[in-house]
Amino acid sequence: MAVRSPLEQRRAQHQRYKEDVQRTGKPFYPWAMFHDTVMSLVVVSVIVALACIWYFTSGESPGEPGLLGPRFTSEADPGTTSFIPRPDWYFYFLFYLLRIFKWPESVILGTVGIPTILLLLMLALPFLDVRRERRLLRRPVAVVAAILVVLSMGILTYKGATTEESLGGDEALIEEWMEANNLPEEARAGAVLYAETGCQQCHLYLGAGSANLGAPELTAIGAEGGKGVDYFARYIGNPRQFGNTVMPIYGESLSEENLRQMGIFLDASKGPGGGG
Amino acid sequence: MEPPAGQHRPHAPPPSLWPVGFAVGIAVLLTGVILGWVVVAIGALLTAIFGFLWVRDVTGGLRTVPDVEPERREVAPPAAPIRADEGGAGMVASSESEIERFPRSKFLEGATLGLGAAIGGVVTAPVLGFAVLPAFRGGEHEEVDVGAVDDFPEKEWMITTFRLDPDLGDVTARTAYVRNNGMLDGRPSFTIVSNRCVHLGCPVQPNGPAEDKGTQFDNKGRPNQVIRVPTKPAGFGCPCHGGQYDTEGNPTAGPPVRALDRFEFSIRGGRLFIGKPYSVGGVRGEAADAVIRRYDHVLPGVHVEGPSALMYPLEPPR
Amino acid sequence: MPRAKSARRQQIERAVLYPLDWLEERSGLIGGVKYFIFRKVPQDIGWPQTLGSATLTAFIVQAVTGAILAMYYKPHPETAYESIRYITNDLTLGWLVRGMHRWGASVFIILMFFHMARVFLYGAYKYPRELNWIIGVLLLALGMFEGFTGYLLPWDQTSYWASVVGININGTAPFLGPFLAQFLQGGAEIGADTISRFYALHMLLLPGALFALIGLHLYLVIRLGVTSPPWSPEAAGRDRAEVAPTTNGRAGLVRPGSRGGLTRTGVRK
Repeated sequence: MAVRSPLEQRRAQHQRYKEDVQRTGKPFYPWAMFHDTVMSLVVVSVIVALACIWYFTSGESPGEPGLLGPRFTSEADPGTTSFIPRPDWYFYFLFYLLRIFKWPESVILGTVGIPTILLLLMLALPFLDVRRERRLLRRPVAVVAAILVVLSMGILTYKGATTEESLGGDEALIEEWMEANNLPEEARAGAVLYAETGCQQCHLYLGAGSANLGAPELTAIGAEGGKGVDYFARYIGNPRQFGNTVMPIYGESLSEENLRQMGIFLDASKGPGGGG
Repeated sequence: MEPPAGQHRPHAPPPSLWPVGFAVGIAVLLTGVILGWVVVAIGALLTAIFGFLWVRDVTGGLRTVPDVEPERREVAPPAAPIRADEGGAGMVASSESEIERFPRSKFLEGATLGLGAAIGGVVTAPVLGFAVLPAFRGGEHEEVDVGAVDDFPEKEWMITTFRLDPDLGDVTARTAYVRNNGMLDGRPSFTIVSNRCVHLGCPVQPNGPAEDKGTQFDNKGRPNQVIRVPTKPAGFGCPCHGGQYDTEGNPTAGPPVRALDRFEFSIRGGRLFIGKPYSVGGVRGEAADAVIRRYDHVLPGVHVEGPSALMYPLEPPR
Repeated sequence: MPRAKSARRQQIERAVLYPLDWLEERSGLIGGVKYFIFRKVPQDIGWPQTLGSATLTAFIVQAVTGAILAMYYKPHPETAYESIRYITNDLTLGWLVRGMHRWGASVFIILMFFHMARVFLYGAYKYPRELNWIIGVLLLALGMFEGFTGYLLPWDQTSYWASVVGININGTAPFLGPFLAQFLQGGAEIGADTISRFYALHMLLLPGALFALIGLHLYLVIRLGVTSPPWSPEAAGRDRAEVAPTTNGRAGLVRPGSRGGLTRTGVRK
């Protein structure tokens, strides 16, 4: 057989495919169309089921979410200072990507850089992979790329979905902390203050808060020895005295009493099962 | 199928203009329903006269046989029978010989393409312009009255929510953190920081307790509703992607690309007015002594200083 | 035909066929539909190949429910939220149509990704189907843009702030980003023009583009044929001589042995 150019080989292959399908293929209707119809029925059923679950488990107001969330959140307020924006789930990967690029000069990578590169790669795929081979086990690069893409998208989406930043005074969250960390009652005032003062903007506490700015997790900060109520109160009042140049100085915005309450709260925080 | 021409005597009536008059009559009659009975009468008369003439014409064919030669035309034999199921009947591509018979005319081609382009241009240009240009006009607001200067205690922060354009309603609601810095050289000084994060525009929150959550001041009797809540921030934080700012709006951690935007202000008759927003590269010093590196107002995420600012050489008119 | 049909039956058949013949003679549509329905597809395609038509189904659900929602929805900052509340809580069956539109959007996006993954794993983007892959990627981008524009319309807190961030993300693109963002929001600030602009994009421009591209996508599928699975003996990336000489491994286990006999054994070169 004469050596043929790759293009000729591909053309011949497609020609063979057409001949084979003509000879051994089955008519689209009803063989394939039956599968399609069943699948479409499944799709429509899933959509209707989701709509029903969403509606029947939720209440009329934004404050009564069901299994699939509320029917709508409260009306748009461009002047809010308490709302925590989150995108729809299929943008969670992008949302978390934006949290990963936490340096000012790298913002553009997360916003347009990586999405653009991904889109261009997808568009160029048929021209990057021009081999005729289609069997998966003989396309190692494609397999690895696919696994990496699925993994990273999955992880980013999961991280985006579970990123918690609670609002000041969210009582349910405070209750959860009291319960899970075995906090004594006198630590409650400090816990409320902790949530209100925006500590979670940087610190992680029992899974709630932000972990990507380098600030330590405070869930079990009281379990570390050699500290105490006074130490924490003074630290929060002026972190500079302790060599911390990053954390804001709270000595001016919080009163002595407030600082002491925070100290009690942090000192009592010994992690789940570690408390008193 | 229509019978081939010339094989039957034509049944069709001879051409006639009377139906036109008949139609005009009906039109006049209908118009008369609106205008008055006289016009109705005229319309009815016209309709009757032309109707009579028309009917006479049509029935004339039955009364006398016309003395006209039946029309005949040469019928060219069809080139090839076209089967109905082949589709595309009548859409026959021009063959070589026809191309020779009708040599392509440069003029006709040019004219067709040119006219087409002209039509496209006439339709597209205004539509595109209309879609794009209005977005880059307007945006100027009057200064907004946010209350008496005395409502802002010295050295205290107030979460101040107001409407940029009271006429447009809540969609223009904005929040600023306002601090009365006291007097500087005998003139009042205010720090007015926007609560839009300069990373991607999320609502920045004060890192500190908002005192007296129940107390809200309504700017009664003024067109613009203003809400003021005292707060004691040690800084500001963004709940979206974790940007952190100090009390002057300088970024301290996370992705923000510059300092928080600020608003111009003026004081007239003892009342504080919030004016245009502007962007800030950074702030040195504090409160009344702050030195602000000021830039025109730009979108969140846009660098104003450093090498990254080279990526945004042009700003749209706002 | 073994037996002549009765006269009455013939009459009925003629009556049924007449409008079809009428349509066929004037448009050729019946022939086209016949070709589409009875065209041959590879014999070993199965459930994974239904993802494309499932995506189409989800899109049609979106188109239908969206058109009906437009009868009640009022795209203005003062009225949008109230109309959504009214549709969901008060209007008869409004909850179902809005719920289907809302969750159908998610299902549509998931199915697009699954469909894309299937095409990738089967290597179905290769010659001669490169163009169809590109159209598919454009459909994915347009679909996500459709999701983005639709997300603003309920005008609740989630939708408003997601749109603020989304618009500003576009604004960070170098050079033309700020212009793009301002074009998207129809002015210097998000306002009444933004919501009607997103509504027009979501209702008319993007669905129009999606319909056109889906048509092209389907046309190419029909023209080039459904891709057979990579393990299929039918031109799965190898010359015939490479095919195992007797049968593919699965024949006889799951399905009756190859009926084609010699023709599938690759003896011919």
